[in-house]
Amino acid sequence: MDVGLLVQQLVNGMANGMGYVLIAVGLTLVFGVLRIVNFAHGTFFMLGGYFTYYAISMLGVHYLLAVVIASALTGLAGVIANQFFFRPLRKEHEFIILLSSLGLGILLTNGAELVFGADPKYIPSGFSDETISWGDMIVTQQRVLIFVLASVALAFVYWFIKKTRYGKMMQATAQHPEGAVLTGINTNFVHAYTFAMASALAGLSGALVGPTAMMFPTVGDWAVLKGFIVVVIGGLGSIAGACIGGLLLGIVEALGGGYVSQGFAEAIGYLLIVLVLIWRPQGLFDMSRGSAK
Amino acid sequence: MNQRQSATLAAGAVLAVLPLLVGSSYYQHILVLWGIYAVLALSLNIIIGYLGELSFGHAAFFGIGAYASAILTMRYGVPVLLGPLCAALVAGLIGAAVGYLSLRSTGPQFAILTLSFGSILYTIVNYWIDFTRGPMGIVNIPAFSLPFVKLDFAKAVNMYYVVLALMAIAAFGCYALMRSHSGRAFIAVRENPALAASLGINIFLTKLAGFSAAAALAGAAGSVYAHYLTVITPDMMGLQSMAAVIIMVIIGGKGTLVGPLIGALVYVCLLEVLRATGPLRLVSFAALMTICVIFLPGGLVSLWRKLKQNNATTTTVQGQA
Repeated sequence: MDVGLLVQQLVNGMANGMGYVLIAVGLTLVFGVLRIVNFAHGTFFMLGGYFTYYAISMLGVHYLLAVVIASALTGLAGVIANQFFFRPLRKEHEFIILLSSLGLGILLTNGAELVFGADPKYIPSGFSDETISWGDMIVTQQRVLIFVLASVALAFVYWFIKKTRYGKMMQATAQHPEGAVLTGINTNFVHAYTFAMASALAGLSGALVGPTAMMFPTVGDWAVLKGFIVVVIGGLGSIAGACIGGLLLGIVEALGGGYVSQGFAEAIGYLLIVLVLIWRPQGLFDMSRGSAK
Repeated sequence: MNQRQSATLAAGAVLAVLPLLVGSSYYQHILVLWGIYAVLALSLNIIIGYLGELSFGHAAFFGIGAYASAILTMRYGVPVLLGPLCAALVAGLIGAAVGYLSLRSTGPQFAILTLSFGSILYTIVNYWIDFTRGPMGIVNIPAFSLPFVKLDFAKAVNMYYVVLALMAIAAFGCYALMRSHSGRAFIAVRENPALAASLGINIFLTKLAGFSAAAALAGAAGSVYAHYLTVITPDMMGLQSMAAVIIMVIIGGKGTLVGPLIGALVYVCLLEVLRATGPLRLVSFAALMTICVIFLPGGLVSLWRKLKQNNATTTTVQGQA
C-alpha cells in the first residue's frame, strides 16, 4: 500500500471532517441547551457560504474578513430564526418544534433560490489554488485554513462554555431548565445566544468549506444530513462526540472515496450510522438528560 | 353511527362519479394524482398519527415501491397487475429492516434516523446506475392491463378507478385497524408506552408492525404511481418529496382518516395552482405548514370539529378562538 497516498487521503479527510465538526457542534449545542433538533441547521451553512460570496463580490473585502462578516450575519440570522420559529413554541410538543424547523428549512432553502438564484456560485478565496507541500503530500491552503480556523473556533467555543459566566449559564440551562430559571438565569437570553453561536458555527463552516466546492441553495440539505450523521454517531448533545464523529466521518469518507468510489463515499457515512447504532443505540457518547454531563 | 355510514356512502358515491363530472382529462389527471398521494399520506399517517412517531424517510418507501414494480415488471416478466403487490412486499420488507434499526430510539432521534435511512435508500437508487439507471430514471413503464377486458389504463379516467379502489382499501384498512386490537395497542403505545408495556403489549413489535405496514402501503402507492406516470426518477425519494408527504399529513390532520385525504387534495391542488410561481411554490407550502403547525395543530379536519362545536354551543366559545 502506498503510504504517501494514505497520508494524503487522511489529511484531506481531516480537513473535510473539520467542516462537518463545525456543523455538528452547532446542531448538538442547540439540542443540548434547547432540546431542539433543528432540521433547518443546514440552511445556515448555506447562508454562510452565500454571505461570504456577496461580501467578497459586493463589498470587495478580503476573503478572511468576508468569513468573519458571514459568520456574524449567520449568527444574527440564527437569533431571528429562534425568535420567530422556536421561541413561540417552547411549551409545545417536540413534534411541533421539529415540524416548525422543517418548515423553516424549506422556507430558507427556497427563499435562497428566489433571492440568490439556483445557479451554483463559486466563492473565490484565493487560497484554493495555492498549495503547500511536504514531501509527496500536497494540500491546498484552503484545507489548511479550514483546519486552523475551525480549531480556533472550537477552542473558543470550549473556552466560552467551560470558563465564562455565559457558558456556565448554558450548561445550567442544558442540565435543568427549571433549576436554571430558579437561580435567576434568563433562559430566553441563553437560548438566543446559543442559537447565535450554533448558527455562526454553521455559517463559518459554509464560509470555509464553500470555496472547496460550489455553493447552491440546496447545499443546506447536504449539510444538515452530514450534521445528523455526525451527531447520531457521536451522541446527540455531546460536543466531544460531535468533534470525534465529524473527524471520523471525514476520514472514512476520504478513504472510501479514494480506495473504492465516490458514490460509495456518499453511502459510507450512513453505513457508519448503522454500525454504530447496532453497537450503541445512543451514539458513542450518551448525553440524554439525566446521564452524566 | 348511522349518520356516519350514510356520510361515507355519500362521499363514496361522489368520488365514484367525480371524474365524469369534471369531464376534462386534465382534472381527471389531477384526481388520479390526488388518489395516489392520498394513499401515501394515509400510510404515513399510520406512523405519525397512530404510532405517534415522526418518520422523515417515508418517501423512500414510495420510491422503493415504484422502482421495485417497474424493474420487476420490465425485466423479470412479472405481470403488471401483480406490480403493486410485489412493490408492497419489497417496500414492507425494507421497511421492516429500517424499522428494526431505527425504532430502538424515539422522538427526535427516530426522526433523524429515518431521515438517514431515507437518504441511504435514495443514495443507493441514485448511484446504482446498472440496476436503477440512476438519475436518468426509468422510462416507458407499462401501464396496467386486464386480461380479457380492453381498458386503456394510460387514460386518467380508467386509472382513477384503480386508484380509488386502492384508496378505499387503504382507508378501510386503517379504519379496521383502529377498531382492532392491534390498532388500540398502537394508541396505547403512543399515549403511554410504560403503561402499554405493563399491560403485556410488546412495544417494539407493535411499532415494527405498524412501521412495516405503512412502508408496504407506501410501496403499493409508489407502484401505482410508476405504472400511471410511466416515468420515475430518484427525485421521488428526495428530501423535497419527504417533506411533501409530511406536509400533507400535518395540513390535513394527523391521526384521522379524512385528514390525510384532505391534506393530499390541498397539496395536489396547490401544486397545480402555484405551478407558475416556481421556487415560491415550496415557500408557500412551508409557510402553510408552519402556520398550520403553530395555529392549527389538529390540521384542517379540526376546523370542521371546531365549527361543529361552535354551532352546538354558540355562546361559550367567544374567548377560546
